[in-house]
Amino acid sequence: MAGRVRDLALHLLDRQVLDTDGRAVGNVDDVELHVPEDGSPPYVVAILTGPQALGPRLGGLLGQWLVFLSNALARNQDEEPGRIGWELVTDLGSAVTVAKSRVELGVHANEDRAREYLVDRIPGARDAGS
Amino acid sequence: MKSLLKIFLGILTAIGGFVDIGDLVANAVIGARFGLALAWVVVLGVIGICLYADMSGRVAAVSGRGTFDLVRERLGPRMGLANLLASTFVTFLTLAAEIGGVALALELATSVSYLLFVPLVAFGVWIVVWRMPFERMEQAFGILGLCLLAFAVALWQLGPDWSQLLHQAVHPSVPDGEGHPTYVFYAISLFGAAMTPYEVFFFSSGAVEEGWSRKDLRTERLNVYIGFPLGGLLSLAIAGCAAVVLLPQGISVDHLDQVALPVVLSLGKVGFAFLIVGFVAATFGASLETALSTGYSIAQYLGWQWGKRTAPREAARFHAVVLVAIILGAMLILTTLDPVKVTEYSLVFSAVALPLTYFPILVVANDRDYMGESVNGRVVNALGTFYLVLLTVVAIVAVPLMIATKAGQ
Repeated sequence: MAGRVRDLALHLLDRQVLDTDGRAVGNVDDVELHVPEDGSPPYVVAILTGPQALGPRLGGLLGQWLVFLSNALARNQDEEPGRIGWELVTDLGSAVTVAKSRVELGVHANEDRAREYLVDRIPGARDAGS
Repeated sequence: MKSLLKIFLGILTAIGGFVDIGDLVANAVIGARFGLALAWVVVLGVIGICLYADMSGRVAAVSGRGTFDLVRERLGPRMGLANLLASTFVTFLTLAAEIGGVALALELATSVSYLLFVPLVAFGVWIVVWRMPFERMEQAFGILGLCLLAFAVALWQLGPDWSQLLHQAVHPSVPDGEGHPTYVFYAISLFGAAMTPYEVFFFSSGAVEEGWSRKDLRTERLNVYIGFPLGGLLSLAIAGCAAVVLLPQGISVDHLDQVALPVVLSLGKVGFAFLIVGFVAATFGASLETALSTGYSIAQYLGWQWGKRTAPREAARFHAVVLVAIILGAMLILTTLDPVKVTEYSLVFSAVALPLTYFPILVVANDRDYMGESVNGRVVNALGTFYLVLLTVVAIVAVPLMIATKAGQ
């Protein structure tokens, strides 16, 4: 997905990110840009996802509160946002598809915690849905 | 027959919007006080929800995106969050009320205090969310909810003066002793009930749960154009029964048993039996709709995996949110807060969030990036814009009017 010109705000930010199995990974909460020194147009190097990326974009008290809450749940004072390198992006449609599974991406700390501490302790958590 | 089995998503969605616990009572209150003078609002609401549910369902079928995905993409994270907080608050209040509503229906059948049923009902709702396949869930509660058609049968049996009822509906006037602000307040609650945001959250997410694609657009339209008018019909039948039996006697409605009175009068025990099944199924269905919608909208805003297609552990945060919402809802109702009052207020607050939910749907339904060939036509856009203006007016006047009329008292 290199070299295409897109309106970042309209076609990338806030879209759903899906993994190779079509499972939700997160949203495009922010992006990491590289600005070349020779003055050529900046380009996206990575997608950032999770409350640590969304919080600063929301700004204000609400944004700070979101980051604080998420850090408290993670028991980690300076949790980094999930980072997905742009080279993994295979498709840009109504969702952004990436070429790894969500386990390999490792951007899912909160989901893992919810699974470990709550959902897996309830009988039937592994039974497939409809 | 097979395609008929596929319309229960629309029916269950509409039941949650038109005949949940608040509306069961509100429709009877309105019938007993205004006759059919507010029937036009139900028709207006049915057209509005058909229009926007069709758009949200079409977007979901073509792009696989639920409504709150669109809300955040088009309004941005800040406005999206404002909408999320407002609509989650309303949906949660409704969930609490519906859990109480199922318990009230059981109280009506058993004469055991509803508070004793609340924990059982909450557990039942959670078990269905946790275990029951989505399609079986919507079929079971959709079909049983149709027992409420007993109201339509009862109205028929009562043999009212149809021309007079029609006259009330076509030439609406405010009855003596009722103020115009009160009339407008009830009009707004009825309209708000028809267009509550959780209906489109549930309908569009349900379409994704069922794996609809471009091929299923016909099924999608069938769901919309059978489900919601049916909801409107039930709502009118309840008001009609109250208008024929309760209005002339001057009986005022505060509880579910007065809502049931006309049916018992005309159909006896059999009618009552159908009614109890219908009450329980409709309020239970509405509990499921609101519990799942809470999870759907939060998960879609934050980009989590959601829904019942996968094992719960694959959508851990979604299931955690739904579980917490059900527990908190049950606790709220156990404080003996009146479930009917809770929905009356939540309806008015939901009116405030309406434009923020429907505007992004209208925008995305016109976006060829998402929709390809299936974008809105001109007539739909004209009607959609008209409704957006109407929703904005309603949003502005709803809360001041609620304060001015003391919620219609």
